[in-house]
Amino acid sequence: MSLAPSERAPATGAAHATATGIPAGRGTPRRTGRARQGRRRLLTRESVPYLLIMPAVLGFAIFKAYPIAASFWISLTTGNGDERQFTGLANYRRLLDDPLFWTALKNTALILVVQVPLMLGLALLVALGLNSTKVWLRPLWRLGVFVSSLTGLVAAGVMFSVILNRDAGLLNWVLSLFGVDRVNWLGSPVWARVGVVLVITWHYTGYNAVMYLAGLQGVPKELYEAAMVDGAGPVRRFFSITLPQLRPILLLTVVLSTIGTLQLFDEPYVLTGGGPDNATLTVTMYLYNNGFKYFDFGYASALAYALALIVSLLGILQVRLMGERR
Amino acid sequence: MKLRGTLLTVLLAGAFGLCVGPFYWLAMAATQDNKDVFSWPPKLLPGGHLMENLQGLQESIGLTRVLLNTLLVAGLQTVGAVVVSVLAGYAFAKFDFRGRNLFFVLLLSTLVIPDTVMLIPIFQMMMDLGLIDSYESVILPGLVTPFGIFLMRQALRSMPDELLDAARVDGAGELRVLWRIVIPVNRPIIAALALFVFLGGWNQFVWPLIALRSPEMYTLPVATATLQGLATTNYAQVLLAGAIAAIPVMALFLVLQRQFISGLLAGATKE
Amino acid sequence: MSHHLSRRHLLQLATASAAGLGLTACGGSGSGGSGGAGGADGDSGRITVWSWTTAAEALRGVVPSFERDNPGITVDVQDLGNPAIWDKITVGLASGGKGLADVLHIGVDYLPGYMEKFPQGLADLSKLGADRHKDAFVEGLWPTVIGKDKAVHALPWEVNPLGLFYRHDYFEKADVDPASLSSWDDLIAAGPKIRAATGAQLLGLDKPGTVQDMDFFQNLMQLQGAFYFDAEGRVTLASDEAVQALTVIKRLNDAGLLADTAGQGTWKRLVGQGKLATAPYPAWAIEYLSDKFPAQSGKWRVMQPPAAVPGGGRSAIVNSTFLTVSATSKRRKAAWRFVEYALTKPAEINRMFASGGVFPALKEAYTDPKFSAPDPFYGGQKVLRSFVDSLTAGAGATNFTGDYSRALKLASDAQSQVLIKGADPAEALKAAAKQLAQQTGRQQAA
Repeated sequence: MSLAPSERAPATGAAHATATGIPAGRGTPRRTGRARQGRRRLLTRESVPYLLIMPAVLGFAIFKAYPIAASFWISLTTGNGDERQFTGLANYRRLLDDPLFWTALKNTALILVVQVPLMLGLALLVALGLNSTKVWLRPLWRLGVFVSSLTGLVAAGVMFSVILNRDAGLLNWVLSLFGVDRVNWLGSPVWARVGVVLVITWHYTGYNAVMYLAGLQGVPKELYEAAMVDGAGPVRRFFSITLPQLRPILLLTVVLSTIGTLQLFDEPYVLTGGGPDNATLTVTMYLYNNGFKYFDFGYASALAYALALIVSLLGILQVRLMGERR
Repeated sequence: MKLRGTLLTVLLAGAFGLCVGPFYWLAMAATQDNKDVFSWPPKLLPGGHLMENLQGLQESIGLTRVLLNTLLVAGLQTVGAVVVSVLAGYAFAKFDFRGRNLFFVLLLSTLVIPDTVMLIPIFQMMMDLGLIDSYESVILPGLVTPFGIFLMRQALRSMPDELLDAARVDGAGELRVLWRIVIPVNRPIIAALALFVFLGGWNQFVWPLIALRSPEMYTLPVATATLQGLATTNYAQVLLAGAIAAIPVMALFLVLQRQFISGLLAGATKE
Repeated sequence: MSHHLSRRHLLQLATASAAGLGLTACGGSGSGGSGGAGGADGDSGRITVWSWTTAAEALRGVVPSFERDNPGITVDVQDLGNPAIWDKITVGLASGGKGLADVLHIGVDYLPGYMEKFPQGLADLSKLGADRHKDAFVEGLWPTVIGKDKAVHALPWEVNPLGLFYRHDYFEKADVDPASLSSWDDLIAAGPKIRAATGAQLLGLDKPGTVQDMDFFQNLMQLQGAFYFDAEGRVTLASDEAVQALTVIKRLNDAGLLADTAGQGTWKRLVGQGKLATAPYPAWAIEYLSDKFPAQSGKWRVMQPPAAVPGGGRSAIVNSTFLTVSATSKRRKAAWRFVEYALTKPAEINRMFASGGVFPALKEAYTDPKFSAPDPFYGGQKVLRSFVDSLTAGAGATNFTGDYSRALKLASDAQSQVLIKGADPAEALKAAAKQLAQQTGRQQAA
């Protein structure tokens, strides 16, 4: 997949760099930099980026490359335990005819389409509020909003089983104060999905809000001041300054949330077990069942790489749609 | 203008309630007797069993030791991952070099493959390296986080090149530019990254569960899982462990949040 | 094999780089267990045991006397929690037995799967003399410990015979005589009376299958001598017995006698509130009820479970757990000695029963007076006796097979379809059985 920086990269930057005589962009002659500094210093303009990415690449080579290669190999095999036979794409073909895979994919896609926009929209609203100097008690709200992302898997499972209970759940009790009838959160296919969406949204909205908040802090105040001099109202300032300035972070959260939701496991695992009748079964849960309950690691790995392919395609699409120009 | 402030405050207070409400129940349930955790109506005031549950946790999982383990693992992972991410993110955002796209895509590719299928290969590898049941086995794989590299790259991209070039004109070396300009200017997002990496390291469960063998090496989530039995789970202790788990991350948030609200770029120019 | 080669290359690179980065490999904290592949029959040293919660605690109680009687062997019992233990054992087995403990505590839901999918994973205990204990355990468990190689790979520890726990006070109030309830038909008839008199529903069931606990459905099949698979391993999920079982559940639900216990802690809360009149639960519930609901002392009794069909069988083994030795253990003999010591000595096994409530499968254990003692929580009833009696009445063996998890999942889906979407039991099971046969390559029984 290519979340790559655009080929036409920093046009302005390059122009600027040439103007100031500092080699920066592609297009600038490499010779000058090397000729001037190469013999004297390790940190030449050319070697610097490689040195900078070296720790990451080394770590990748040691701890990620092998597991990725090995699990891909396993996806091309069948067998028990250590005795594996190479069967080519058999696992992938089997996947195409597996109704549960398609159910899981459909559920995951449904949750994705509803949940990611909902969560990111809320997170942006919260971040804007938290960034506003007009709001009182900001530190308190900031901490509170973040608190929900702290709960670990086991505790969250217990907590939401209690909260979403039909007859004795806190949520239904709160709803009843507004005259809403009891909702069977875990027991009906539709509501179980809604319940899972609610819990993920609860869990990760604050997380994303903090990311936006950090991004908002990086927007130069002069831009707003200039816009206000030009007579731009708050709505126009939001669309003409805040949003474009936040774009890199927005793109990041969209891509990461998409990946996170497509790999959704924790919440259905502890809340619904994928039920009722597979209404909340996700691809990653199905993968876990195949590997760790049915011990069919070849098929589980094939599911993983099929999912990876889908995630990658979506990622590319998102990058293309949201553009990565500067 | 005052009206808008009030309105926003009320909205944020609502969000606050929604976020904190369930957590409040958790904290209160952690102070009840195990028998009363699921009682109805729910106990929304502190119960009298906090010390008893704490003592129980100390006895069953060795709470202090486990907390120190988790702190060590998450702390080192955070320092390492932030350094790796800032360096790599800076390179990807502000340099043009051969193989840039390839390396970036390679690093990101780990993000799209579910961790579950990599468990067995990475376990075999760690076994062969003789690292199983060591802190390193938990810390090392977390040092390269595609998320962190991606985040830093995105954040640094919007940093004006003029800032860097100006420093270079003044004769600053690349490391100096990084240390004096890039890091200070991006403190808010680096602080956020540190917070997220710490949170991830603090709550990571499946890999430490597989990688750690001796109870005295366990991290908090792994130790909490040992409290689970089919019908024998001590829920009060599980929930107390969950509540305690939140405290260090909350503390880190309070320490770092000063960074989020300092508009350091105020004086800088944007293109 | 290219797979293996490339791995070694990568590892060399990795080790070199790790050393270059100044990281020391200080793995293998010396806590026994199996290092690399290929075990050995070591007879001394330190052995590690993996178990969970109360069972682990019970095993720890055996260690002092074992170490005294077996100088040269020390035992470290580790509590991994359940379900965490399964992920850990699975990864170890899938890695060729690397990193496993010497002794593993495994439930009947996982044991046949491990034996079938990892035939080299668990040690051959026949070689160490396990066969001499063949008749020491209650009937129905021994077939489970035999692998495809006809060798013994585990020793039974815990057995959970089924009973029907009921609220004696509710039955009296509703004027229902428990002695008159011999089949679930009778209970379905009595249910509305009990509900009218006490407001309690008959029993709780996780209708949407949030935790995939299909014990009740399985028990109803087992009472008829059936299961997901027959003795030959053919699929019987659509058999008449299975349809009858799911039909009983549907009728209970249609009559409004089933409370929904979806979600963690729900069942416990309902029992605490006195909203359930019965609990068709195995023997572990004896201690569980008295421990968690001391306020209900004197109100509960136990009876033999009602038959799934009028006149049918009334005993079933809900589940069981086993101790095994990993094949890659360097100290297989020492490990086996511990297993044998803990599981075949009545004194030790009853000590564990007393401390952890793990109901023993060892027949000789039942001669202990404890098994005939009246229990005040159950109004002075000799509760343990009734479970022992149902075991000696002889429950049939249940063939869990290596595909139990798949069957469980499909059955759970079928039950949810019936209870939540109003599907027909026979239709739902027919579809499930077809899928099960497809997924596992097994035949369907005629």
